[in-house]
Amino acid sequence: MTKTVILVQTIVGGLGIGSIYALVALGYSMVYRSMGLVNFAHGSIYMIGTYFGVIFYKGMVAGLHLPYWAAFIVGILLTAILGVALERLFRPLANLDLMLMLLGTIGVGIMLDNLAIIIWGAEGFAVRSPLSSKPILVGGVALVPQMLLIIGVGTVLMVGLQTFLSRTKVGKAMRAAAQDREIASAMGIPVNFTNAVTFAIGSGLAAAAGILAAPIVYVNPAMSAAVGIKGFAAAILGGLGSIPGAIVGGLLFGVIEAISAGYISSAYTKGIAFIIMVLVLMIKPSGIVGETTVEKV
Amino acid sequence: MKTRTTLWKTIALIAFLALLLAVPKIARNDYQVRILNMTGLYILLSLGLNIAQGFCGQINLAIGAFWAIGAYTAALLNVNFKWPFWLTLPAAMVVAALVAAVVALPSLKVRSHYLAIVTLGLGEVINIILVNEEQITRGAMGIPNIKRPSFFGIPINSEQRYFYLVLAFVILGYLVARQITRHRFGRAFRAVRDDYVAAKAMGVNTGFYQILAITISGVYAGVAGVLFAHLNTYISPDIFEFRSTLFVLTMTLVGGMGNLLGSVVGGVLVILQEVLRTFRDWQLVFYGLAVVLVVLFFPGGAVGIARRWRERQGARRAREEEANTVANPPSEEAR
Amino acid sequence: MLLEIQNLTMQFGGLVAVNDVSLNIQEGEIHALIGPNGSGKTTIFNVVSGYYKPTQGVVRFRGKQISGLPSYKITAMGVARTFQNLRLFSSMTVMENVLVALGHHAKTRFWQHVLDPFSVRREEEELKEKALQMLRIMKIDQYADEQATSLPYGLQRRVEIARALATEPTLVLLDEPAAGLNEAETAELRDMLLEIRQSGITIFLVEHDMKLVMEISDVVSVLDYGKKIAEGSCSAVSCDPVVIEAYLGREEG
Repeated sequence: MTKTVILVQTIVGGLGIGSIYALVALGYSMVYRSMGLVNFAHGSIYMIGTYFGVIFYKGMVAGLHLPYWAAFIVGILLTAILGVALERLFRPLANLDLMLMLLGTIGVGIMLDNLAIIIWGAEGFAVRSPLSSKPILVGGVALVPQMLLIIGVGTVLMVGLQTFLSRTKVGKAMRAAAQDREIASAMGIPVNFTNAVTFAIGSGLAAAAGILAAPIVYVNPAMSAAVGIKGFAAAILGGLGSIPGAIVGGLLFGVIEAISAGYISSAYTKGIAFIIMVLVLMIKPSGIVGETTVEKV
Repeated sequence: MKTRTTLWKTIALIAFLALLLAVPKIARNDYQVRILNMTGLYILLSLGLNIAQGFCGQINLAIGAFWAIGAYTAALLNVNFKWPFWLTLPAAMVVAALVAAVVALPSLKVRSHYLAIVTLGLGEVINIILVNEEQITRGAMGIPNIKRPSFFGIPINSEQRYFYLVLAFVILGYLVARQITRHRFGRAFRAVRDDYVAAKAMGVNTGFYQILAITISGVYAGVAGVLFAHLNTYISPDIFEFRSTLFVLTMTLVGGMGNLLGSVVGGVLVILQEVLRTFRDWQLVFYGLAVVLVVLFFPGGAVGIARRWRERQGARRAREEEANTVANPPSEEAR
Repeated sequence: MLLEIQNLTMQFGGLVAVNDVSLNIQEGEIHALIGPNGSGKTTIFNVVSGYYKPTQGVVRFRGKQISGLPSYKITAMGVARTFQNLRLFSSMTVMENVLVALGHHAKTRFWQHVLDPFSVRREEEELKEKALQMLRIMKIDQYADEQATSLPYGLQRRVEIARALATEPTLVLLDEPAAGLNEAETAELRDMLLEIRQSGITIFLVEHDMKLVMEISDVVSVLDYGKKIAEGSCSAVSCDPVVIEAYLGREEG
């Protein structure tokens, strides 16, 4: 295998994982932008969303065995509903001190994680890909079909989100409410509704990410911590609150991890990604795409 | 009136101390004393976190990692070079302080959410290093056979005796923290927290105090690390995972962030968690629920509740006095 | 020449807040900076006090360049400021607010705070004495132990000034000290400012209250849209048609 082949494979893998991180990071940034809330239960939503989809795919709900694409949609819808419920719960946390907000959302996250353990057990299980597990050869480069599925569906979702926000009425209302809640409210935009939609979409995207990732990673309640923190780091790397930032941050985080794992040291993968994040923030404290605001004195 | 309350306070304090000293005798078994020892260690961690975050406003999600650094420094020096407790202690304090100072550097450029993830990330990096540098740290296997300390020839080799050691350090740690935060440095920390810009305008070298505050938290965590290593005689990386940082954060918030007593009161959480341990998985669900309730309804922590209660008492007394003067106006002679 | 602002330009992205402004302040004078809202007055203060680095131009204090230095160093050199929107330390009492500013006086080092409580306590008492003196000058010593932000607005303004004075400056930048004060309070403020000048401190003042400005200023500089359009004694400036045009041609806040 030539060096370029390995490099391309590594980058494709990185984009795959990065797409997962990006979809999760979008949830963090969207909710932060519209509600001013950093939702540290988002990792748990990702995990539960994965379960919501996977249990139908594996026929664990009353023997109902759905095909992958159907389970995908069902999982997203159920998680979106969970998101709406959580938005209601989180409303009072939005204006609190960061530490309180952090702990409050983490508290909910802990509850969700352990409810998942109680319901589905802590051991978890493996999920088989709906596609063949044999890699496709493209010009000598071996690409795992599920990885391509992740990148493909992930891109569709991200583009879909952008379109939704810029073209549809609800999307524009959401952007207006995120920009300035009071003015939007004064202009008749139902801010509570747009927040609920934001949460629903963010949660749905997380579920999508998890269900897409399920055949590649091992599905268990510990997923929430693993991806939760990295998703947040990716959102910050790109600039918290920025939608393109979440995408850039997520993909970048994934590629850095893949390159570290492939070329430097698989053990230090996570560490290297975090260090690079810290270095980027030292240079540009508001993240890659984030806006630098000068505080008015 | 004032001297009377001071007298009551002193009596209460002495009674409390006497009770503490008698604890090892009252406790039924070693396990219970161990819980108290762990409570003491967490109080030290919380004091450190409180100084950095409560007083100076610097989010520090790496405190668990500093704890690990203290413990590993002590363990490695003791097991590899036979350094006794009284030498590993200052060594660990220095190493933890240095590491903390480095972790503190990003605080000069980033704030709030960004500082949170940066300190979290750097803490994770430290943990990853501890797990992976097996040559030095023995990785996930951990380091066994750490020796218990001795005090002027008396070996401190029982939970009970260790309790007195921990108690001494907690009291010392509290007094030192009080000294620091009561005067000039405490005010500078609070100025940085209250209004960064105004602090600079008043001549406060904010960057210096930010790094100092986080470094102090590192020292406290380092001490807790040494005490833990020599107490448990075995350490491994998973003890110091992010979960421990979350716990210190929670207990400090529940006790009262920004108030040293809050750290002490928060120690109750350690005991509470042990008590609830029998409920297993549901324990954590309740734990999460408790955290949410505290955040929503008691953001000032236990200390905040006490303060509000006192204020309400004061206001009620003032109203009663006013009502009295209306009902019984001063006599003619007084006029 | 105590303070020299030379060709100062301050640009934020596309917005030019201060456009090639030059200004000198002599020792011992009360120098007012006036102009319609948004003309760049506070921005100039922010540059002088070190909060912004100038896009172009230099600021010198006693001949030494201070533009580009961090705020706390500039304060240590003798330039203090107050804020338009009151930035008192919300968790502290009036006394503590002033004590923070007196920190530069302190001689105890950190290790003493841990190991030598006696010298620390002694220093605390000295600092408290000094703080009380400052509070007496501003006539707020009886509020020393009150939460600073719980006081009425006019008194909070005085705390803000007392705090700035506690840094023992040679030059003090006062950003709208009379904002929100009634006539009686403004008259008291006027007397305090004159006392401050009497004690040897130079005052650089941003103000909208024209009566106050006219009563105490030696020199007035006028800004409009970031440019200096006039400068001179009160009478000269108030008769200057350019100045009148600038004020009339705007909606005064």
